[in-house]
Amino acid sequence: MTETLLELKGLEVTFTTRRGTLKAVDDLSLTVKRGEILGIVGESGAGKSMTGAAIIGLIDPPGRVSNGEIWFEQQRVDKNPESMRGRQVSMVFQDPLTSLNPLRTVGDQLVETILAHMDVTKAEALQRARDGLTEVGIDPDRINAYPHAFSGGMRQRVVIALALATEPQLVIADEPTTALDVSVQAQVLDLLKKLCRERGTSVILITHDMGVIAQTSDRIAVMYAGRLAEIGETREVLTNPQHPYTQGLMASTPSVDAKSFGQELFQIPGAMPKLDALPSGCAFNPRCSQAHARCQTDRPPILADRAACWLMENAS
Amino acid sequence: MLLIILRRLGQSFLVLFLVAFVSFMIFRYVGNPVDNLLGQEATNDRRDALIEALGLNDPLHVQYLSFVGRALQFDFGISYRTAQPVADMIIQRLPATLELALVSAIFAMFVGVVAGVYTAINRRGFIANSILSSSLIGVSLPTFLIGVLLIWVFSVELKWLPSFGRGDVVDLGFWTTGFLTVSGLKSLILPGITLGLYQMTLIMRLTRAEMLEVLRQDYIKFARARGLQDRTVYFGHALKNTLVPVITIAGLQLGSIVAFAIITETVFQWPGVGLMFINAVYFVDIPVMSAYLLLVGTLFVLINLIVDLLYLVIDPRLRDGQLKRTGG
Repeated sequence: MTETLLELKGLEVTFTTRRGTLKAVDDLSLTVKRGEILGIVGESGAGKSMTGAAIIGLIDPPGRVSNGEIWFEQQRVDKNPESMRGRQVSMVFQDPLTSLNPLRTVGDQLVETILAHMDVTKAEALQRARDGLTEVGIDPDRINAYPHAFSGGMRQRVVIALALATEPQLVIADEPTTALDVSVQAQVLDLLKKLCRERGTSVILITHDMGVIAQTSDRIAVMYAGRLAEIGETREVLTNPQHPYTQGLMASTPSVDAKSFGQELFQIPGAMPKLDALPSGCAFNPRCSQAHARCQTDRPPILADRAACWLMENAS
Repeated sequence: MLLIILRRLGQSFLVLFLVAFVSFMIFRYVGNPVDNLLGQEATNDRRDALIEALGLNDPLHVQYLSFVGRALQFDFGISYRTAQPVADMIIQRLPATLELALVSAIFAMFVGVVAGVYTAINRRGFIANSILSSSLIGVSLPTFLIGVLLIWVFSVELKWLPSFGRGDVVDLGFWTTGFLTVSGLKSLILPGITLGLYQMTLIMRLTRAEMLEVLRQDYIKFARARGLQDRTVYFGHALKNTLVPVITIAGLQLGSIVAFAIITETVFQWPGVGLMFINAVYFVDIPVMSAYLLLVGTLFVLINLIVDLLYLVIDPRLRDGQLKRTGG
């Protein structure tokens, strides 16, 4: 559990537009250990999905990794992400209804993926495909069915089977349950967690759902406006958040216990700034109740290995 | 699945009956067949005898049914101009048109799809944009001008290819083909390109637009994330999904290629049914015109039927009769 599998060093993703250069991910550094599940949370546009796309090297132009380094198993991979894409790092997308090619059978897509990366015969690939389906709880005799014959939850199981078919060391799951019904969400999440734990596969779980993160991840990284706001053990961060933004997120997460009936939900005032109109200093300072003078001028680094907030300065 | 095919066949027959009806109305009511056959100076006795012989006094539906019945036996009457049976004239000339149409269609489909995929993949490339710009010429220049230009360059100036006719043909008894001789093949090139150029650019632009649309889909992104080669992603995953709309248009265009080969056949003096139709129009040769209408109508219905069946082959969702398009 201690060996570092993936390391991002000062990752920066920029989009060149007519109105100038926008930083979708700004100076992001973090590590993922072998076998660990790291949750990345944040609002829409915080740069979570961009981080995932950057690791696997699939940022759509005009976006690009403009700075920083990505290290995977002690190898620098940001220059040639193809070398590990699909083989060592795979991905699960948000919407299972659109993730599978509607005109090809699920077995066909599984076999194709296995043959593309592993040195096996067609018959072996087919057997692996059947095993993969069995593992995710789908009758292997449905291997010749087309995606439309499956429900949303089933299709996400197929997608997970696809992502794990090549025995990768890291799975990037980008909002894997957002498009599913609540009851199915838990099943799919448990399945993903179970399979990855069994194989010692690391997971980067990208979501905006704090409940999903709490149930699943070992560590958690909170992103805000393309920057890392807070990072730490899940239990630590959720029960004792240090960054005012994380505190706000926790306070605004709805709960269903007896006390919360009839209570109004907390809201963080304001909205996340647009990337072309970031405030100077800490990006969160206009919405922060505890901001002081320095927050408006100097951008805080990650302090005490925990939160990018000047309030942490005294603690460290 | 079987039900879909049967229903589709039923619709095809219905359309064919309607086409036959229009064709019949032209045959029966455009001009007066008796005048056309006997001329102005015939005696009343002879006129009455002919009217009786042609069954023109029968009720309309009887005449129509007997028209359809004869058409089913490939009997379209006698040409007013050449006094030959129309069916014989068509059989004589159809191979020339069908071979020309086949060459044009293959050219249009193959070059159109390949160029469409290429321009979609290399969206910002210089060559792709050049192809795209020059394709506007194909869309906007009229067919006869393209034909004349090609003749000027390749026949008159370079003297590489013949400017008219089919060249030497081989008679197989029921079919005369230009595919088996060098001069026959050379003769096919210029008219084939002329006839297919418009369709080619149309298919290319459609393929490009569809391909760009498909490349934005999640399953393409997922295919890339699975680490598949670009080639597999483009041709194994994207192309098949672009084909359904492309086949629709290509099918209709194939019909147009045969139906509107008239201009190309005129420019290249191609001895096909188009040229026959033009001559029939000059001489108000009604039976030939109505038979041609029936032929083209049948062809369109047939192609549409094939296109619909191809949908079922390509898209499994349609096979299961599931028409709602979930999953893009």
